[in-house]
Amino acid sequence: MDLENTKAQMRKGILEYCILSILSRNSCYASDIIKELKEAKVIVVEGTLYPLLTRQKNAGLLSYRWEESQQGPPRKYYELTPAGKEYLKDLDNSWEELVESVNLIRTR
Amino acid sequence: MKITVSVNLGGYSFNIDEDAYSELKRYLKNLELHFAGEESSSEILSDIETRMAELFRAKMTGYKQVITIADVNEVISVLGTPEDIADSESKSSREKFSSPGYHRMYRDPDHRIIGGVCAGMGAYWDIDPIVIRVLFAALVLAGGLGALIYLILYIVLPEAKTTAQKIEMKGEPVNIHNIKESVKEEFENVRKKMKL
Repeated sequence: MDLENTKAQMRKGILEYCILSILSRNSCYASDIIKELKEAKVIVVEGTLYPLLTRQKNAGLLSYRWEESQQGPPRKYYELTPAGKEYLKDLDNSWEELVESVNLIRTR
Repeated sequence: MKITVSVNLGGYSFNIDEDAYSELKRYLKNLELHFAGEESSSEILSDIETRMAELFRAKMTGYKQVITIADVNEVISVLGTPEDIADSESKSSREKFSSPGYHRMYRDPDHRIIGGVCAGMGAYWDIDPIVIRVLFAALVLAGGLGALIYLILYIVLPEAKTTAQKIEMKGEPVNIHNIKESVKEEFENVRKKMKL
């Protein structure tokens, strides 16, 4: 068993959930999402985020619009679609269930 | 003194040292290979390039005008190598993007003696083609039926031409890892032949 590997495995599942959670508050530019994920220490290398965003967009959970930026080229702003909001609601529930289950076992 | 190259990255123009440029190019090529099987891979790459430009921009302060190899290495460590990215992806989502691993019989042109039929059957069942060749030879000697079967198989079986087909022939899933391995193998074969 390798501790780092186990930690990475744990992070994998929650990363997608965290992205959707961040976007549920307001629409975001990818670099803003990265900043939050880094602060929360759920992401190690930034490159992981971009394929996830694109997959979630292709799955119809996210959409994006181009917004002019004062500092440079236009930026992609992601937001949740109605389907994405539903999806997130499901994940919220299953996250709470998971936390409960784990706590139940740990506090036995 | 170093030669610099001018590049357009995510809509910004940068001056970059020549060695740093080749390192950056190598990195982007590897990413491209990594995401090759993915739907909208070009979109992912352009998003990453945009982020890269942002990170480089943050380094260009005051008198600093040229991107060096140290800058490139730092940005690569922030964004992660394809291996780092693969590590943090869930297995299921990675497997989804490799084609489902067909197992088809092909004629194997790389190990053929006549038309590659026996070699292809050997690769398909993962047995030594010699066994099949001996069987065919026996059938030919015992009345010539073997020759007819061989001819039919030669016509029916397609030749494995592309790398993906050669992987399918062995029944391995066609993903970027296997393609890389297979290309490496072919390269080694060519090198061996050149030496001979």
